Amino acid sequence: MQNTHFEETTDEKSKIFTIKTQVGKEQNTADLINSRSGKSKIKIPSILVTPELRGYIFLESYDKERVKEMIKTVSYARNMLEGDIPIEQIEHFLIPASAVAKIAEGDVVEMVAGPFRGETAKVTHIDDTKEEITVELFESVVPIPITVRGEQVRVIKRKEEEEKKEEEMEK
Amino acid sequence: MKTVRACKTCHVLTESDICPNCSLPTSKRWRGYVIIHDPDSSQIAQKMNITKPGKYALKVM
Repeated sequence: MQNTHFEETTDEKSKIFTIKTQVGKEQNTADLINSRSGKSKIKIPSILVTPELRGYIFLESYDKERVKEMIKTVSYARNMLEGDIPIEQIEHFLIPASAVAKIAEGDVVEMVAGPFRGETAKVTHIDDTKEEITVELFESVVPIPITVRGEQVRVIKRKEEEEKKEEEMEK
Repeated sequence: MKTVRACKTCHVLTESDICPNCSLPTSKRWRGYVIIHDPDSSQIAQKMNITKPGKYALKVM
């Protein structure tokens, strides 16, 4: 049966839906949906963009079909995943993990942003509170410590992997 | 274009160097993005203890 109720009731509990977006355009999509919801009078109590989940955003609403129709007109929004998810499942996203949580001293990283983009380096120090790491570039003649943000690097080789490789070489 | 900054205490996003809610200095390093329209009916706002509508950061460094 088609839903003909355009006035939504606030008595019922809102549901959380997942919207697939273009990767890297999550925040733009959230802003566009936010402005579009005002024009189309769809009640969207909140929109969540998590740094851990690229290409997806969460949206709280009441009427799935109306949201589905609305996002068709939003650029960068791809489609909506079937079904809603309980708040418990996304609760951990509300406290994002540290950007340096998965990096250890001795790891080999690749710089993905900044002036040294594309260069590889070895992690010498991790600052958990500032979410910064200190690295030494492999290609520099003199080892100069450089401090960069945790999100500016990508781990390409773990310390354990490096050690295993060295052991095998010795054998 | 002005950079968006986040309050270190209430996480609200603002273009100002001082938070309009708590009058504390803001930071330009933040991650995660939440738009709260209706804090009373939003489950996410309730989990995050947000009582005012607006744009918020999930984490401020």
